[in-house]
Amino acid sequence: MSLATWTRDLALGARFAVTGGRPGLLRTLLTATGVGFGVALLLLAVSLPNMLFQREVREAVRAVDGSEQIDSPRADSFLHLGRTTTYRDDVVTGLLVTPEGDAPPVPPGTAELPAAGEMAVSPALSELLDSPEGALLKERIPYKVTGTIGPAGLIGPSELRYVARVDFLTTENFDGRGTRYGWSVPEEPMNAFLVLLVIVACVVLLLPVLVFIATAVRFGGEQRDRRLAALRLVGADIAMTRRIAAGESLAGALFGLLVGLGLFAVARQFAGAFTIWDVNAFPSDVVPLPALAVIVLASVPVASVVVTLFALRGVAIEPLGVVRVSTPRRRRLWWRLLLLAAGAALLVPLMGEVQVTETRIDSTGVVAGTTLALIGLTTLLPWLVEAFVKRLHSGPVAWQLAVRRLQLSSGTAARAVSGIVVAATGAIALQMLFQAMERDFTELTGQDTSRAQIAVGADARNADEARGMIDRIARTEGVAGVIGVIESRVWRPGPLKGSEEWAPTTSLRIGDCASLGQFATLPSCKDGDVFVFLAHGAQGNPDDAQVTGAARPGATVVLRDPHPHPSAPKPPKGTPLPQWRIPATARIVDSRPDPTGMYQYGVLATPSAIDAGLVDEPDAQALVRLDPAVPDAADHVRNTAAGIDPTSWVRDLKDIQRDAAFSSVRTGILVGSTLTMLLVAASLLVSTLEQLKDRKRLLSSLVAFGTRRSTLSWSVLWQTAVPIVLGLVLAVAGGLGLGVVLLKMGGQQVQDWWAFLPVVGIGLALIAAVTLLSMPVLWRLMRADGLRTE
Amino acid sequence: MNTAPQDPRVPLLRAIGLDKAYGSTPALAGADFSLRAGEVVAVMGPSGSGKSTLLHCLAGIVRPDAGTITYDGRELTALSDTARSALRRTDFGFVFQFGQLVPELTCVENVALPLRLNGEKRKSAEARAVEWLARLEVDDTAAKRPGEISGGQGQRVAVARALVTSPRVIFADEPTGALDSLNGERVMRLLTDASRDTGAAVVLVTHEARVAAYSDREIVVRDGSVRDAEWAV
Repeated sequence: MSLATWTRDLALGARFAVTGGRPGLLRTLLTATGVGFGVALLLLAVSLPNMLFQREVREAVRAVDGSEQIDSPRADSFLHLGRTTTYRDDVVTGLLVTPEGDAPPVPPGTAELPAAGEMAVSPALSELLDSPEGALLKERIPYKVTGTIGPAGLIGPSELRYVARVDFLTTENFDGRGTRYGWSVPEEPMNAFLVLLVIVACVVLLLPVLVFIATAVRFGGEQRDRRLAALRLVGADIAMTRRIAAGESLAGALFGLLVGLGLFAVARQFAGAFTIWDVNAFPSDVVPLPALAVIVLASVPVASVVVTLFALRGVAIEPLGVVRVSTPRRRRLWWRLLLLAAGAALLVPLMGEVQVTETRIDSTGVVAGTTLALIGLTTLLPWLVEAFVKRLHSGPVAWQLAVRRLQLSSGTAARAVSGIVVAATGAIALQMLFQAMERDFTELTGQDTSRAQIAVGADARNADEARGMIDRIARTEGVAGVIGVIESRVWRPGPLKGSEEWAPTTSLRIGDCASLGQFATLPSCKDGDVFVFLAHGAQGNPDDAQVTGAARPGATVVLRDPHPHPSAPKPPKGTPLPQWRIPATARIVDSRPDPTGMYQYGVLATPSAIDAGLVDEPDAQALVRLDPAVPDAADHVRNTAAGIDPTSWVRDLKDIQRDAAFSSVRTGILVGSTLTMLLVAASLLVSTLEQLKDRKRLLSSLVAFGTRRSTLSWSVLWQTAVPIVLGLVLAVAGGLGLGVVLLKMGGQQVQDWWAFLPVVGIGLALIAAVTLLSMPVLWRLMRADGLRTE
Repeated sequence: MNTAPQDPRVPLLRAIGLDKAYGSTPALAGADFSLRAGEVVAVMGPSGSGKSTLLHCLAGIVRPDAGTITYDGRELTALSDTARSALRRTDFGFVFQFGQLVPELTCVENVALPLRLNGEKRKSAEARAVEWLARLEVDDTAAKRPGEISGGQGQRVAVARALVTSPRVIFADEPTGALDSLNGERVMRLLTDASRDTGAAVVLVTHEARVAAYSDREIVVRDGSVRDAEWAV
């Protein structure tokens, strides 16, 4: 067989793909679209590692280099403070810089360091600040916009970021001192369980895409077979017809590749518009890994030829027509079970091998095992459908038509559904993993959002200033109530004893009775009262003795550290240590969780009990209850806090805290599952419509002798439903099995055996959707036009 | 099935001034037609003359653009799609050139299909179907699928299916078009014998004179126009 003959036959087949009028073009377009979507998804998937890597690179490039300890100011040194705030649902990050010399470095992405009180902003933040929606945020970031941060200073095009030059940073309120940007920040390695999830998700999401591509290259198979029969009539031999068929599929697959590349090119342009897995990428970062891209691009045409030749095995193309092998070979069970067993053999030894505390995992074993198990299940479906429908008896006409159709040719239906088996099996297994892991990655914070929703803290120069801050927050729009305290410390006076390295100390909180009652269970309280409250070692807090060693009823304490660290700023010489005697009437009470969920301990004093003006380095602390009726109440509070002190801290209180990485993976899998299911539905719909079109004449003749529309509609429903239901049964069994094995890998228990129900629901919705979407075409085909021959 | 006595002078099926066009292509232009109970009428004409369209209109499959069709005193063109479908199930039988047997059903199931669509139980429907297969001399195909039998056998199965409901009119569109002459003659003999036995009328569309020879009367369609000499209005 010469190369020229191959080329000629393939070229002839390729010509058939584009000629042959509207139906031919439509078929090629369908194949190209199907393959194209698959290829685009695969290319995006193989771009993900690079996207994540580039994100790390970008973060490292703009980070202040902290590898060198700089103790004193230099010409190129600067103090810096990172600021992260939430505006509505978006995160805004900022870097505040105070140069110490005249040659500070220019932050990455900016043309120059902004002047004092000015800032450079990312394009997305600039747009937000210029819009009416950004008005509240503008109050919080009061610097004048004088520059733009370019891509070199951003991790994604939609990132909300600013770099501002300020003059208020000191070594008391800074994050650190730097002289240059660009530092390799070590990323926290992903937990082994998350890696397991990601691996299984990738396999589960990508296998249906491959199945879809294999289905897409077979679109229009029956029409093609008839065309090949015509070629046999004019002298083509069997080998030639197969090469021509391969050429036709190849052309469709190559068009599909072009469509896929086009879709990928378009999709990467929109990479910045979407945030998936917390990744909002620049188009230039969405680059497939070369080796994987080559595999994708090469495997699609090869797969198209292989699938076509494989499909022609059971077909004898004769000059007078196509003859399907009348008694198709019985499907063998053994090799399908062998695949499953091989998958299990790879996965089972890994049971108990994955530890929560580890970050390493045998990814090759998991990928190979999961892939083999899923492929084994997929190949099991045609056997199951065949074995099952063989045993079905006829019932009503619609059921009989569907069952007989499946008995005659169950392969087409099983192939179309195989994508569902993979997607559903994987989804069930992942769902089980999620439920088991949710406990590990989701913790109840213990925060009581019924008492407060935001915590604000700021340094004050003195008690009056601290009280003023709390009052300002209380007066802020949208604030329904404030638990406000002035926080400082008390120390035991006198010399250090024994091995003591510092004077025993505990916290001091000054506030009204209502506020103090949020920290401890107070039997009664009036202005002038003092309490020593003990946490009894809860949450790892110190023993009660340590607290009472520093402060107890009747004891005198000092309000400034009597033995400060040598590096700490010293008060003017001769300044006496302020003293305070805890009244002997002070009561010892039990601590209770404050709205942040923490058991605090120390001394609680009402305003009349102590001269607050004497306390050292007071902080203002406000736990804020918001008025739900006021829109943007939280942002008003954040604005007030920023207005009080740009270095103040604001913390949102939440009942439940989810691990960020866990949430990201979950979101990613949800997005991927949705896309996969849509792809499966599209594949199923195309295959159903194609079957209907091939039966146009038959449908018309059935209508001619009075067959009801509803009879044929029900028949289509049964024809779709039987393989899907069987596929779901297989998926439920396989998914539960795979889920159990994956859980056992980490020594986890199954939380909910009914985890498959949502997936079954989606499967049933697919049946309904495919049937409903097929109806218009079915009804159109049932017109008498199909009987016309001229 | 319908066995009401019929005045032989009154046409069972009558069409007057039928017009039908597919897009801008006229298929029928003022066609007239009539059929008496038990009569076998051959509709002849060249390819594309409108023979099949006339058959589809007469059978209530296609609604004409203009003209009236009366069947057994009822105006067919005024009936709803559902009513026309019901009529086709009970009173009409069909035989086409090809593509009529459901490939996944066995022959006996194919023949029983119209009965089952009429609500008859499967067992009794299939029992009657077996009887008709025997009358059409294809009882050995009962358990086979259409793909496993010859073209001639397939057409006889189709005739059995057309007759199984004891229709009053059988519409046959080129029933021997895909068969060799021997098989074609056999099918025609069985079709016409069986229809005469049951009293069913036959509208037989064909372009072959030897097939038309089985009819009682021939009409010719030319450019969508029919002249039925005997029953011209």
